[in-house]
Amino acid sequence: MRRGSIVQLVVLGILFGAGAAAVALLIPWLPDPASKQADRIDFVFWFVTAICIAIFALVAAVIVYAIFNFRAGPDDDEDGPPTHGNTSLEIVWTAVPAALVTAISIVSAVVLTQNEHLPSASASVSRAAQSSGTGLCKPRDADPLQPLVVCVVAQQYAWLFQYPAYRNATSATLRLPIDTTVQLQLQSRDVIHSFWVPEFGQKQDAVPGLLTKLVITPNRLGTFPVICTELCGLGHALMRSQTTVESKDEFLKWARSRGKGAAAGGGASAAAKTFVDNGCDGCHTFKPAGAKGTIGPDLDKLTEAAQKAGQPLEEFIRQSIVDPNAYIAPGYPKGVMPETFSSLPKQQLDALVTYLAGGSQ
Amino acid sequence: MSETVAGFHEHETEHAAPAEPPRGWRRLTAPGWLRVLWVTPLFFGIGAGLVVLIRWLEGWHPLWDGAVITTVELTTVPFGLLVGLGGFDYWYRYASGARTVPEDHSGHGARSWRDYFRINTDHKVIGIQYLVTTIVFFVIAGLLAMFMRAELARPGMQYVDNQTFNGLFSVHAALMIFLFVIPAFAGIGNYVIPLMIGAPDMAFPRLNALSFWLLPIAGVMMVSSFLAPGGPFAAGWTGYAPLSSTHQPIGAVFFNMGVQWAGASSIMTALNFLVTIITMRAPGMTFWRMPLLVWANFTTSLLVVIATPFIAGSQFFVMFDHIMHTDFFNEVAGGYPLGYQHIFWFYSHPAVYIMMLPGFGIASEVISVMARKPIFGYRLMALSLMAILVLGFSVWAHHMFVAGMAPWLRVPMMVTSMVIAVPTGIKVFSWLATLWDGRIHFETPMLFALGFVSMFVIGGLSGIYLAAVPIDIHTSDTYFVVAHIHYVLFGGSLFTIFAGIYFWFPKMTGRMYNEALGKLHFWLTFIGFNLTFFPMHYLGIQGMPRRVADYAPRFADLNLFISIASFGLGASTVVFVYNMITSWRFGAKAPANPWRSMTLEWQVSSPPPIFNFDEIPQVVGTPYEYGVPGARHGVFNGDRVQEEEEVHA
Repeated sequence: MRRGSIVQLVVLGILFGAGAAAVALLIPWLPDPASKQADRIDFVFWFVTAICIAIFALVAAVIVYAIFNFRAGPDDDEDGPPTHGNTSLEIVWTAVPAALVTAISIVSAVVLTQNEHLPSASASVSRAAQSSGTGLCKPRDADPLQPLVVCVVAQQYAWLFQYPAYRNATSATLRLPIDTTVQLQLQSRDVIHSFWVPEFGQKQDAVPGLLTKLVITPNRLGTFPVICTELCGLGHALMRSQTTVESKDEFLKWARSRGKGAAAGGGASAAAKTFVDNGCDGCHTFKPAGAKGTIGPDLDKLTEAAQKAGQPLEEFIRQSIVDPNAYIAPGYPKGVMPETFSSLPKQQLDALVTYLAGGSQ
Repeated sequence: MSETVAGFHEHETEHAAPAEPPRGWRRLTAPGWLRVLWVTPLFFGIGAGLVVLIRWLEGWHPLWDGAVITTVELTTVPFGLLVGLGGFDYWYRYASGARTVPEDHSGHGARSWRDYFRINTDHKVIGIQYLVTTIVFFVIAGLLAMFMRAELARPGMQYVDNQTFNGLFSVHAALMIFLFVIPAFAGIGNYVIPLMIGAPDMAFPRLNALSFWLLPIAGVMMVSSFLAPGGPFAAGWTGYAPLSSTHQPIGAVFFNMGVQWAGASSIMTALNFLVTIITMRAPGMTFWRMPLLVWANFTTSLLVVIATPFIAGSQFFVMFDHIMHTDFFNEVAGGYPLGYQHIFWFYSHPAVYIMMLPGFGIASEVISVMARKPIFGYRLMALSLMAILVLGFSVWAHHMFVAGMAPWLRVPMMVTSMVIAVPTGIKVFSWLATLWDGRIHFETPMLFALGFVSMFVIGGLSGIYLAAVPIDIHTSDTYFVVAHIHYVLFGGSLFTIFAGIYFWFPKMTGRMYNEALGKLHFWLTFIGFNLTFFPMHYLGIQGMPRRVADYAPRFADLNLFISIASFGLGASTVVFVYNMITSWRFGAKAPANPWRSMTLEWQVSSPPPIFNFDEIPQVVGTPYEYGVPGARHGVFNGDRVQEEEEVHA
């Protein structure tokens, strides 16, 4: 190979490498990480990206060099030199990629182990709980924050988060204390769903009949989207919630008051609890419960909605809970609200209807 | 060449005298579309009658159950069509002990366009039947993608409802995979492989004809699911249970059964390729003298026959859960939803290589011929195909890193997925080395082949990200995956299919395609493709999940950009179809060997004689000896054909 051609090739390689590096660095590819796991995933991402930029630059340089330097003329009927192979070159391009993918595999495996690590004492407890129990999500006796266990219940098309260490406090949004290792234990009531918070970098399917687990250590305050990423039916795109990372004190205050609310009973507060425990606030706005969801119709405007539907208010509310597809508010898709609320005990249902009817007047 | 053409006419009179057309009422019983018209309703009646009879005997109500009848009819009606066309006539006589009709070869070759609409046993006719059919379904599936991009141009819902949107991407993927990429490669292989190995036809011509006719059946079935009550199947082409088994309208059965028909077609063709390649090579054509496209189809066929029964099984299980209330994937009754994914991906990962390896073969042919150099590292190229074949069966669970399967399985599956990059890398580097120091001619096939190499490298690199478990946990089921599979299947498979169609167009039609339009098609496709799919990487990493009709407002601008680019990409297909149709009718007559290739299919006239070779070629060397003075791949008796050509050149 001529000397000039080597120089040209190297220049092309540097140009393509610089171009690819610019694309990689100037575009903010990764979401701003909000968990220790995401930080480690980002490290693997950049490790792989560095290798990929090198390979891309090499391939692109050779192709472009060949296109410009080995172009046949219009009436050029000649053949190229009959090179059949080059054993040492073939060994190199077998061995070098093999070494690179080995390196990536090792880094990935190490990061995977770190990302799934639970504080040791509690890990043994949760193992014990699992082996003795039914395999379903359970509260634990040890320090509830090491790790914090949250049960995630997925159904078409809503998320529900339960905190077994806080008397099964229930919420339609996921609230987490900062700098605390959390173990999510996911279950599904119908089809496969998948829990993902892009800023946490962690994802796990919720499979009917299985209890799957995911470890997250949030390290940045803020509110982030919770997204279902496994196609779960016609409301898949709407199966969204939020997660809020707050200080430990704020979290404990909230969790304890939620847990207490669970113990109190009777009247409007029981209905308010039914409302929250079933995740209604995940999708609906309803001021008396402090709910701000926007996926479903605004429950502060139930009176108007009942008029539009031409039904008495309480009857309309009851029907909309137990048979949500009987009447669809204009502008909202059919079949998105779960039909499982028809199994609520009559007492709870009655209280809920009264509560909702009272709140909208 | 004039002599070859003369030979062509000789054959026509000698072997293929068209039989007397049947007259009177015999036209109704002779194989053909008239018979289809009454046999298909007959089979419909048999299917429906059986269901009603059994339900009546068992005392089940209602007697007429639409879902059950539909499911049964998806088996019986296609059989009616095949019987009507005459797909089983010969075997029926043989099996029933009647006297078989001596083969007069009247089912061979095509004299008018009508011959493409019947059972035809000529591999060249079947190859063209395959290609035209698959391009039709390619256009339909592309239009479905255009609908999707129209809906996705803005956040919120505009044109379709959620269920229809889910149906759009499900049918789009199912058609592209089962009715375009896989059978388009089968079509190219069908046409080229017997010619390449010096055989007069495939080993089992009647099976070949039958396996083609299963394909339009599967395609029509999948498309017509839009007409089923409740809409089309909407659980994605992956059809994960239990969403696909217990939460779908009856349209899902159209997918389950469509996959069976397409899969059966695939398996029959693969068996045919295997037997043809093993037993019908011309004298002197040792395995180490086979062109790489033959190697590629050999390994692909092995993949097909081993893997395809798994998807057939998985779809049957889902259908049984749906219609017969079995509980394979119903966890309440002890079923195991993840079992579906394991079985499904045990086919569908090898299927990725079923959709890649023939493309590797096409790229090898085109690059070697058009760079005027022997393929670099021929044996390693063939061996790396075999390595991919073996490794391809050990990586399926890398689709399931977040699925909740046994955690220990992830790292081993990551390692095998990484290792498969090594033989793939060998192929890419060998193509680059083949280009090096060549005399490169940039006709349309070469542009598509080079476009394939560069796009496939990007798809391969994003595959490394997805194989690394921690990154995959973040990116799986997002638009990053959508970008990756389109770089692999569009940038990879589709570019090589286009390369192959342009490359062998002169051989298939006897006419040259329009080079300017071909180049325009390439550049529109190449630019439109990158503008459409590259930004999807970013969307996915940032947080946009796949398979959603609605998305966060912050992704609106980029999605609008992608939609506009995708319409440009869609428009490029118009150029392609226009070029194919006009060139086929009015293009300049093609010489026997416009690319000055050494492989056997170019040593006969364009299009080839009905029985391919007037005399069996003798293979004397490897197929890529460009630049070696006096080298030959195949010689004919006294070398008359080649001398003719040299005179013409």
